[in-house]
Amino acid sequence: MTSYLGLAFNNLLRRPVRSALTVFGVALAVAVAVSLAGFNRGYRRAIEHSIERLGFQVMIMAKGCPYEAATMMLKGGTGLLYLPGDTLTKIKTDSDIKAITPIFIGVAQKEASSIRDDAAASFLIISGIETGSFTSMKPWIAFARGLGFDGGRWFNPDAADEVVLGYEVATYEQRKVGDQFLATIAPAGKADPIQHSFKVVGILDRTGTQDDGTVFLPIAAAQSMFNRPAELTIVGIKLKEFTGVKMREFESRWMKLPEVQVVSLQQVKNTLISLIGTAQTMVLAVAIIAVIVAMIGVINTIIMSVYERTGEIGIMKALGAFRGDIFQLIWLETLAICFCGGLVGSLLAWAGTHLIESAIKRLIDIGVQGSLVDITWEVMLTAMGSAIVLGFFAGLYPAWRAASMRPIDAIREGIG
Amino acid sequence: MMQDPLIHARGLCRHYHRGIETVKAIDGIDLDIMPGAMVSILGPSGSGKTTLINLLSCLDAPTAGTLSIAGHLVDAMSEDKLAAIRRGLIGFVFQKFYLIPTLTVAENVELPLLFFKRTITREGTMNILRQVGLEDRARHLPSELSGGQMQRVAIARALIVQPRILMADEPTGNLDSENGAAIFGLLRHLVRDQGLTVILTTHNLVLGNQADRIITLKDGRIVTDSAPPSFPSSTI
Repeated sequence: MTSYLGLAFNNLLRRPVRSALTVFGVALAVAVAVSLAGFNRGYRRAIEHSIERLGFQVMIMAKGCPYEAATMMLKGGTGLLYLPGDTLTKIKTDSDIKAITPIFIGVAQKEASSIRDDAAASFLIISGIETGSFTSMKPWIAFARGLGFDGGRWFNPDAADEVVLGYEVATYEQRKVGDQFLATIAPAGKADPIQHSFKVVGILDRTGTQDDGTVFLPIAAAQSMFNRPAELTIVGIKLKEFTGVKMREFESRWMKLPEVQVVSLQQVKNTLISLIGTAQTMVLAVAIIAVIVAMIGVINTIIMSVYERTGEIGIMKALGAFRGDIFQLIWLETLAICFCGGLVGSLLAWAGTHLIESAIKRLIDIGVQGSLVDITWEVMLTAMGSAIVLGFFAGLYPAWRAASMRPIDAIREGIG
Repeated sequence: MMQDPLIHARGLCRHYHRGIETVKAIDGIDLDIMPGAMVSILGPSGSGKTTLINLLSCLDAPTAGTLSIAGHLVDAMSEDKLAAIRRGLIGFVFQKFYLIPTLTVAENVELPLLFFKRTITREGTMNILRQVGLEDRARHLPSELSGGQMQRVAIARALIVQPRILMADEPTGNLDSENGAAIFGLLRHLVRDQGLTVILTTHNLVLGNQADRIITLKDGRIVTDSAPPSFPSSTI
């Protein structure tokens, strides 16, 4: 014997193309919603990961746009501003500081790249660091191992011709430990750029952060090559106690310096999330419109199906079906469409994660590393639940229409 | 001792309005139908056959008069109460078969039980199909059947809830004469062997005249009634 659910599915199979198109409409709406939810989760996670992997809680940098400053540390950039040379000496005296590391960042032009790329990849981020304080902030940093990577070490602090490459730079430029590495640097205040030759002494293991795309030099050598002796781009700081109160106290102490801004990485995180907020709102609007269109499609399909089966509904009522039976049957058909749409949509979104991610990365320059779309079972189940709720409401009107038919009118109409 | 009529109608009317005109589809019919009878309702198109059978089967409510079915006074009942009376008491067969094309013959026959929240064994379904001569077609889809076979399935579907009355509105209307005669024969067999009361409308005078009782309508009124002498006669 068939059941209400079996009968509902049977009815949907009578017009397979129409039912499939309606399911596909719901699936598309659900896929958009799941992707958006996955992007929200993934983006937050990626930001948190990227910021955590910077290794410090507070950055001190030259006054300028704080948003630009925030994203620069995460994804690099040009138009860098520099701190005066004595900033580090002054800030080091603060008793709330647990650890501090100076960083000099400059942008160089690639030379003799093994891969021809006239676009963005023709520039390099050069980072001058003090290895001791830098690695104490980022204890996870390690040298890559394997053929061409073995034997890596940090450069000599006094050497001017040794570099350590981030993993992506090394693989993109096809460099091994011991290879030569060329970069052209335009020193500040000088007209002609100078080509420098370096020896690759180490290649870092992948970190999933901007460090992977960075070329590391001793800080003094970097400052000298860019003709900015003693200047710094960033001072990274870990506080002994990182609370809101302590942060505000620290900030008020050092904001007094005329050329300095203090940026909390919590602020950076909030800034980055708010930067993407507008885009998320637009995508959310698209998702809502898609859901409404899908809902209208479902109502239309079920109403058409009800009208086509007027006579059958009439005979079912004549044979003993109550209003509730017909209501239940039509409602189940709607729920079945929405459930299938939810399932297919969730699976589509899950299967297309990488496609969505690369599309988002192409459309929006977000400035965080790692996976940006995080579609979990919870997200998929929530989406499917929402699709069923959608069906719950979409099915009310057609089910009510069918249940309200007088059997005599329905049969007469069916015969006509 | 004389049996009570299964259907008892007095002054039955069904009037409706079409613009400013009042159409008297049924106009003051008195009628008693005893259990176990096969009654044909004949008449030209527009004579009120279908309206009368709709009233007698609780699908429609009269605008005047009294109607009692199996002891239930149904003329003033709401639609839901009429539906409750129909359930299990009346089975239906129409000119159009209304079988669900994606269900098998057996599943179509079992369909009403879904609404009765009852189950039946496959053997029970096969017994019903055997009565209508379709036991070998249980797994077939309606599209694999002839018109006559589809009407047999519709009859089996009506019988599955063991009704006391079978209402058949033009049951042979979509069939050729051979299949029509076979369906008529099947209905007669159900009356004779199972004591079912069958009320049918038809345009086919040859078949209609083979019933136990023949009622002829014209303009919503009974013009002839061949009720046997022992039955209370309807009035004109």
